[in-house]
Amino acid sequence: MEETQETDTTTLISDINDIAIQDPVVSKSVTENEPVPSSPEQGSSYEILFDQLKEKNKHIFVLSTAGKPIYTRFGNENQMASLFGLMIALVSVTQDSNDTLQSICCGQTRIVFLNKDPLILVGVSQSSEPYDQIKKQLIYVYNNIISTLTLTQLKKIFHNRTNFDLRRLMSGSERLIDKLITFTENDPGFLLDSISCLQMPSSSRDKITQTILTQCSKIKNLVFGLLIAQKHVISIVRMKKYSLHVSDIHLILNLINSTESFKTAESWTPICLPTFDSSGYMHAHISYLAEDCQACLVLLTIDHNLFFTLSDAKRKITEKMRCNDCLHAINEAIIRQPISLARANITGLRHLLYKNKNRSQHWCPPFTSPYNTDELQQNLMSVYCSLISQINFPGRTLKVIFQQLTAETMLAWATEDVELYMTFEPLVSKECATNAVTKLTQWMKKEEDSLFIFNIPMF
Amino acid sequence: MATRKKVLLKVIILGDSSVGKTSLMNQYVNKKFTNQYKATIGADFLTKEVMVDDRIVTMQIWDTAGQERFQSLGVAFYRGADCCVLVFDVTSPGSFKSLDGWRDEFLIQASPSDPDHFPFVVLGNKVDLDNRAVSTKRAQQWCQSKNGLPYFETSAKEAVNVEQAFKTIARNALAQESDVELYNEFPDQIKLDGGSSDNRSSGGDNCAC
Repeated sequence: MEETQETDTTTLISDINDIAIQDPVVSKSVTENEPVPSSPEQGSSYEILFDQLKEKNKHIFVLSTAGKPIYTRFGNENQMASLFGLMIALVSVTQDSNDTLQSICCGQTRIVFLNKDPLILVGVSQSSEPYDQIKKQLIYVYNNIISTLTLTQLKKIFHNRTNFDLRRLMSGSERLIDKLITFTENDPGFLLDSISCLQMPSSSRDKITQTILTQCSKIKNLVFGLLIAQKHVISIVRMKKYSLHVSDIHLILNLINSTESFKTAESWTPICLPTFDSSGYMHAHISYLAEDCQACLVLLTIDHNLFFTLSDAKRKITEKMRCNDCLHAINEAIIRQPISLARANITGLRHLLYKNKNRSQHWCPPFTSPYNTDELQQNLMSVYCSLISQINFPGRTLKVIFQQLTAETMLAWATEDVELYMTFEPLVSKECATNAVTKLTQWMKKEEDSLFIFNIPMF
Repeated sequence: MATRKKVLLKVIILGDSSVGKTSLMNQYVNKKFTNQYKATIGADFLTKEVMVDDRIVTMQIWDTAGQERFQSLGVAFYRGADCCVLVFDVTSPGSFKSLDGWRDEFLIQASPSDPDHFPFVVLGNKVDLDNRAVSTKRAQQWCQSKNGLPYFETSAKEAVNVEQAFKTIARNALAQESDVELYNEFPDQIKLDGGSSDNRSSGGDNCAC
């Protein structure tokens, strides 16, 4: 399956183990001959480095097109300076023959290259992840870098100085990239290109949205307002004609959930939303509603002089929400047990992912037995990942996948409006599984009002 | 935190085949020398950390193929170099004459922003051999004519001047680094154009609306 996914690209598939991180001595040089015998010290330090690297399942590297290291997920990038040189050599050799290096496979290891001049991103996965998945992770990391610098700045910097050491401008944001990569590995929202909403009665949500809208609609140059509770979105309002792309929302969520200091003070921070406009900064007013209500309000504007206006708006929003009981409703929704799949009462169904395609929103119920450990949950996510990748493969119109695995039976079901990925007990029959789809769809009709945001008003 | 910023320098070694580029690098990084000659194919990379005026500097050294038929890495090789080391063999007048060519090649390919002050360092290698054919004076004159490039006579075999040469290389490259302008001015404000551009328009794919 994974191999066929690459047939329509000019992927270079190579079996040369030399390039893999398997032979430490050979891999530091691009020589075909044996390199000049290196000393034991140099050799052994490389061996230690590569042993350390091999222990980790997934690596992400970022370098400049000059071959200078910018980011590594694990280890010290200075010690890997030679490895970064090798990466640029591989990219460059293919470029010289007017081709593009996209990926290298060797056994279970897959190396994916993303060339975003002046940056090059490299992902190494040892767990047979699909090519598209790794590439998307690289795009996310790239977008995160853009979100701190803007594409305009990034290009300008390297245009002026091709030898620039970008780490000088990145210090502090490595942590965000670390967290973002973890997000891309664990969160169904990344796999499904969707957001998760805080579950609450639609009447409460509408009241919250209306309160935000009333304050925001009058403010010139305010483009978006978002209310967030941890990983979930409560409400979105937006300026007419503009909408927020899911991947930009993921970056905002990552920023907020990775920054503790937002909890203690209202903040004003420039952030570039790469899909919205990679050329410049938006300015975000970020603050938690109140001491006793841990929902985070994000107001995004193009005007960098708007802090006090937005600060004032936020204060009014909180006051109003306190009066009309919205704060209370949010708190209740945050502490309430998330809706359990057991309520749907479908025999043999263990877990599912449900995506509302029109809204780009998903529902992922909490994991229940037998998925009690991180490892088992991670394994199930990998199974979902593979199904999602197959259902969404470009140019293919696959609608249903039924798959009996050793530990579970999987059913993927795609329609115009919905993508559904269901996990059943191992011996569930095809008929039983398809019946479950009907039953679940009916049940969702009743529940979806609280699981998804249907009202995103404009001003 | 009071830690100094990390610095990484990209250093490229150029020169005719068999002048001792790889040997110099090996002597410098690994303190080893071998009389065996093996052509470098494409490139080899070595890393070394050095202290320069109490800053820790990582040198990413790009050893290149001197033989033309093995030079296959193209522009990427030269792009963004912080320093370029030109090596010739003091027993080979031909390799000395080639320095002009190597320097020009570098300046064309790398197109540094200030070519007149780009930090080159020139090394006359193999001074341990008896059959010397390029005098110190001649080499120094050439270096003078190129805006006074630093010149060192080295022996990779006997580890003469290698450490000193690389220290100068690091220091000169660092001097360039320090006067870099800071990029902290805000770029232009985003213009709202009524959502006419594709990725902003509503109703597109993956818009949470």
